[in-house]
Amino acid sequence: MASAASSLTFILLYGVSYGLVLFIISIGLVITMGLMRVMNLAHGAFAAIGGYIAVGVMTNFGIPFPLAVVAAVAGVVALSVVLERLVFVNLYGAPELDQVLMTIGINFIVIGGLTIFFGPNVYPISLPDYLTGNVDLGIRNFEVYRLFVIAMGLIVVVGLWIMFEKTSFGAKLRAAVDNPSMTRVIGINVNRVFIIAFGIGSGLAALGGAIGAGMLPLEPYYPMKYLVLVLVVVALSGFGNMRASLAVAVLVGIVDTAGRFLVPSFGGFIIYIVLVVLMVLRPEGLFTKRAA
Amino acid sequence: MVTQRNRLGTITVVAGLMVSTSAMADTLKVGVVGPMTGPLAVMGEQWRQGIETFMELNGDKAGDTTIEVVYRDTTGNPANAKQMAQELIVRERVQALVGFGISPSAAAAAPVINEVQIPTFLPHVASPALMDASPYFVRLGQNIATNAEVAAKWARESGMESAYVAVADYAPGHDVANAFKPAFEGAGGTVTGSDNIPLSTVDFSPFAERIAEAQPDMVQLFIPPGAQAVSMVKAMAARGLMEDTLIMGQGEAEDSDIHLFDGTIKNFHSAIYYSESLDNPENEAFVGGLQAKFGEDVLPSTFTLGAYDSMALIYALASEMGADFNGDAVMAKLAGYSWASPRGKITLDAESREPIQDFVIRRVEDVDGQLRNVVVDTIPQVHPISGS
Repeated sequence: MASAASSLTFILLYGVSYGLVLFIISIGLVITMGLMRVMNLAHGAFAAIGGYIAVGVMTNFGIPFPLAVVAAVAGVVALSVVLERLVFVNLYGAPELDQVLMTIGINFIVIGGLTIFFGPNVYPISLPDYLTGNVDLGIRNFEVYRLFVIAMGLIVVVGLWIMFEKTSFGAKLRAAVDNPSMTRVIGINVNRVFIIAFGIGSGLAALGGAIGAGMLPLEPYYPMKYLVLVLVVVALSGFGNMRASLAVAVLVGIVDTAGRFLVPSFGGFIIYIVLVVLMVLRPEGLFTKRAA
Repeated sequence: MVTQRNRLGTITVVAGLMVSTSAMADTLKVGVVGPMTGPLAVMGEQWRQGIETFMELNGDKAGDTTIEVVYRDTTGNPANAKQMAQELIVRERVQALVGFGISPSAAAAAPVINEVQIPTFLPHVASPALMDASPYFVRLGQNIATNAEVAAKWARESGMESAYVAVADYAPGHDVANAFKPAFEGAGGTVTGSDNIPLSTVDFSPFAERIAEAQPDMVQLFIPPGAQAVSMVKAMAARGLMEDTLIMGQGEAEDSDIHLFDGTIKNFHSAIYYSESLDNPENEAFVGGLQAKFGEDVLPSTFTLGAYDSMALIYALASEMGADFNGDAVMAKLAGYSWASPRGKITLDAESREPIQDFVIRRVEDVDGQLRNVVVDTIPQVHPISGS
């Protein structure tokens, strides 16, 4: 065993970078679930489609990685807005079981579609050269790619913070989350807010799927495979609580990394033990204020 | 009018029955049961490629017998395996089975197979103890304990002193670890660390970090192919392990799968019984036929090969035995049966019903700008290691 300091930096660096990928993928679901109370289990499908678009345009048309990510986000936003009008609009206010069945069904359609068009195997991404290799951080070598993921995660955090706290759309969104009927009464077009928020949420999933593809390989079963992790983050965040979800995602990343590193045989369970304990103690979410 | 139509119908049915009975005498139906869809669909797809390649090259006649193939999909779920095998036997009246993507599926279907004594050809499932489940199982792959022992001995002969064992935390992973450790230590090496990696693992860097800290000479790996293997190799490469440590696996870097990895897979070693680069006429026909039918860039895996060899065996038996093709006769004939496979000479061990075959040590190298498995050593005619 190397020194405790080296182990600690490993856990922090890798845990944070892993957590931030989870954050980017999950945050969209935190937003849409908090806002629309729709249990969208097909959220991971948007991440998968985003990843497939990014890798697809890179390998087939030689488009550079940054543009491919933009194309993925744009494509998924467009797709999700159409789907919102055609499918999800029918789920608002529907019983939870209907929502679950419908969105799980969408997952299976996406899994089948990806298998037909791209084959049952992993859809490999080749990252650009400037994102491969290691960089010396002084304390230890660290992957350039993971640094990039951390940076992207922070950009998303800051971007969302500005949008929610500093723009009038953010104010409307917060109002709609807190009290949709009151928001309607004062003349805000809640439906429009819903569409935009749904588009943003799905776009963020696509962003996570595309830039996270180096860590979470793309495969047809992607929508199901990472669903549990996404739901852990969502459950611990509480409805629509974006600040909490950042902390939760990073916590999940660190706990999972530390668990697997320190006690590998039980590493897979530790995150679930933490989940169970926290859900018992704080069922409303980790940082949610308790109702008086 | 109504009676007339009924009579006509009866005649058609009777005629149909007569046709099908007369056809049955010289038609041998082969049931293929496995994961054609679902998370393991790669296996089913590659089997189909192997079977269709064989039939493209050899036609549908084995001697006087016409071979007909019927597929059933288990979606990779062992609970379906028994039902699908039953359906093939009862409804489709198949006389031979090729099948099962994972050992638990084969074990689940074994009672049905034993009941009706249907010879069952296993293209690749590799659990050591599986052969005890049915006397009608024939293995065309290997049992993974054999690979692990071959790897341990070869690594010791190559001067590796210390080894780290990193296997997926499920039965096959444990089988590999349990076979590798005594073999490596028995040959004078030391196993300095051993991890069972949970199947739920997404980020493999904690395991790469543990291996790197232990600084072993070599790593014996067993990770399910696909996304998990890709992530594990990436994590090890990021820690520099692919360059300065001998990494040995089994099926992680199949020829057909190398393109799933980026350059990080370079230097990955496997102890296995086949490589598409083998130089023999049977392999040339196999790979050539595969690529002619499915495209120049399609490469075979041991899944493709296992299905191809299953068909080769069924054709050979059907043309030799004709109408006498039945479970016990087939099994008696197969004891010690030997033929030329694309993998080289293969003989079915009479006792274990598993192949005696050459093993190769392959290494992923850059060949003219393309990542390919290159054979670096051959261990001739390895006998299967008893599983139970």
